[in-house]
Amino acid sequence: MLTLAGISKNFPGVRALSSVNLEVRPGEVHGLLGENGAGKSTLIKIIAGAYVSDEGEMSFAGAPAKWPSPREAKRHGIHVVYQEFALFPQLSVAENIFVGHERRNRFGLVDHARTRREARELLQKLGVALDVNASVSSLSVADQQMVEIARAMVHNVKLLVLDEPTAVIAGREVALLFDLLRRLRESGVSVLFISHRLDEVFAICDRVTVLKDGRLVGTHDIADVTRERLISMMVGRDLGDLFPARPVAIPIGKPVLHTEAVSVGDRVRDISIELRRGEIVALAGMVGAGRSELALGLFGAVPLRSGAIHLAGRRFTSMSPARAIQLGMGLVPEDRKSHGLAMQLDIAANISGPALSEVALHGLVDRRLEAGIATREIERYRIACRGPATKVVTMSGGNQQKVIVARWARICQSVLILDEPTRGIDVGAKVEIYRIMRELAASGVAILMISSELTEVIGMADRIIVMREGRVTGELAGGEATEESIMRLVTSERAA
Amino acid sequence: MEMPWWLRSNGGLAGVVVLIGAVCLVGAVASDRFLSINNFLNVFEQTTDLALVSIGQTLTILSGGIDLSVGSLISLASCLTSGLINNNPDRVIPVVIAVLAIGILVGFVNAGLIVALRVHPLIVTLGTGAMLQGATLLYALGPVGRVPRGFNFLAYGRVYGLPLGATIAVLLCLLIAFALRYLPLGRQIYALGDDANSARLVGLRRTRILMLVYGASGFFCAATGLYLAARFGVGQPYTGVNYTLASITPVVLGGTLLSGGKGGVVGTLFGAFLIALLNNLLNFMDVSKHYQLVAQAVIIIAAVSIYVERRRTA
Repeated sequence: MLTLAGISKNFPGVRALSSVNLEVRPGEVHGLLGENGAGKSTLIKIIAGAYVSDEGEMSFAGAPAKWPSPREAKRHGIHVVYQEFALFPQLSVAENIFVGHERRNRFGLVDHARTRREARELLQKLGVALDVNASVSSLSVADQQMVEIARAMVHNVKLLVLDEPTAVIAGREVALLFDLLRRLRESGVSVLFISHRLDEVFAICDRVTVLKDGRLVGTHDIADVTRERLISMMVGRDLGDLFPARPVAIPIGKPVLHTEAVSVGDRVRDISIELRRGEIVALAGMVGAGRSELALGLFGAVPLRSGAIHLAGRRFTSMSPARAIQLGMGLVPEDRKSHGLAMQLDIAANISGPALSEVALHGLVDRRLEAGIATREIERYRIACRGPATKVVTMSGGNQQKVIVARWARICQSVLILDEPTRGIDVGAKVEIYRIMRELAASGVAILMISSELTEVIGMADRIIVMREGRVTGELAGGEATEESIMRLVTSERAA
Repeated sequence: MEMPWWLRSNGGLAGVVVLIGAVCLVGAVASDRFLSINNFLNVFEQTTDLALVSIGQTLTILSGGIDLSVGSLISLASCLTSGLINNNPDRVIPVVIAVLAIGILVGFVNAGLIVALRVHPLIVTLGTGAMLQGATLLYALGPVGRVPRGFNFLAYGRVYGLPLGATIAVLLCLLIAFALRYLPLGRQIYALGDDANSARLVGLRRTRILMLVYGASGFFCAATGLYLAARFGVGQPYTGVNYTLASITPVVLGGTLLSGGKGGVVGTLFGAFLIALLNNLLNFMDVSKHYQLVAQAVIIIAAVSIYVERRRTA
């Protein structure tokens, strides 16, 4: 159905893909595995016509294919459901399904009744019950995904590409999705299924291809590989080496921060949690469970609706980032590019950012002092760069993340919140970040780590707090948690 | 009760109607002549220019952009109208057609630059606006030419008792509302404004949509220029200068989101009527024209801030 041969793609400073081969057969579910940053997203964007490859050949349904635009790929029967979706939040379900292919009456005008009717039929065929008049922004993420898939069905889809479809849904919703994929497979549709959850890969895929650091590691029939084999293919080393062990000698100290029925935004409700000195607490849950909102609330970046934060012996019913920093808090946000770093500035300026008074002795920034601090941090965290004057925008994701972690690690004395600290960075940088977290905790800082990677949660956390739909649904001790016990709380489903 | 579609598509319509009611209430207290059919017809007539230009502006804003060249284009259109016609009745029809065509062409250029240069519409149209103002001043440094007597029928004429220009504006508004609702390209304007990245990924033709949107905006500016030339009897190089900001106010008042993707032209029409009514009220209260400009600025900032507040708490 789809054949890629020797596909390469370069971005400024990065070789994202390096002569990758991939073959998807008609009517198979083909798994595409790899760590974050392995090149999966780049590869599917090339398949979808959103990027053009620098080298290599692609053919689809027996003909050479070089899509100049997503429109062209779609016309040939390739439909991609991106992780972040390509939906229109303010338009209705029916309009979203048929956008660009509006149902018309015989005068060529949009036929709204027909649009709604056909949308209803389509969703029925997929086995989902949705109000076709509802605006997409009002739907759950799982339902939004169904709208995306329904949209694929409009155009005689031959290859359906799903980018981490299960990152945002759970339990029953996953089962529904898999049922649907099996039915599609029977009708001859090929599915390219991107994931890093091995259970799901074994449950649904016929064959798997593993990418690592932009290169092809291999393609196998699912029957021929074991879980362990796939992990070592993906990671390139055993999981045990990934997480630095917790130093036993360091005891967990007194509570440094606790919250009293904190509500943030319109989702996060009545959160009462406690963070102790020297402790790494993981905040687990689905995307959209309200974990990031809670983090922003604690840091004062989003106002608290009610409740209070106890920190440094005081009770705060409102918080601001300036005050949080003063009290020794730090936040490494989920989206480092738009919320964390000043991309066009150099490393030195990014590190001294929240502590400018320290380098501005007489009201003016002392660039030499700033550079000196940066040089020390660069050595300490092994940040790969040409020096403190390197512009952040030219660096790799992993090194960017180290810069922002270094910034906070230096000045943070009470609580450091890290929101998905290892998303989209390579394994080497991951290990570094884990090491920094351990060091900080050992120095007495309380660490709150938001993470959707269960291996990371289990590998790093002393304690795991699970959130679902804006509330805390449970707490587990780090030592006794398993992927299954966390997922049960994440999805709040009873054990079978 | 199910609302008709042309009301349903305008979430903010209720707000603007309430405000119109409030202005009427104040007006009734201020003067007993305010709440008369005659005064309302006058206000309706005075809505024409603002209604025309802001209908076009609604489209650009719905698509996620904005057109800041409208003021200069209106000036240019009004000067070309009276300058080229130059009191020769035979030239009226060809010049009207030419001016409208130039308006559309300027819109196409705006859209083309936005797409080709990948620059935000704000900057592109601000730039083309400055160029158009320069071109206008090269053509005429002061009032230029004249329009024949009959031409002012467009501004002052009444058909079945209704002011002609304003009636044309209403009809055009309904036509655009219909197009937004029933043409595939109309629906796609909303999609593009709602999420430009999604629009690209589902393969919507952005160039085509922007050509339509900015072309329409250009057309409405040209129509406004024609109307102003008819009203004043002569084109003036700075006649449109206040319309750039003014054209945004009715759009926002009418419930269209400044960020695009939601709203409609019917709300804009009511918004323009509200502004004209307010100016009329201020006239009744002997408030100077200059304060009216201040009032408009206050209204737009207030209207936008109310919208932002709602978004933050929602």
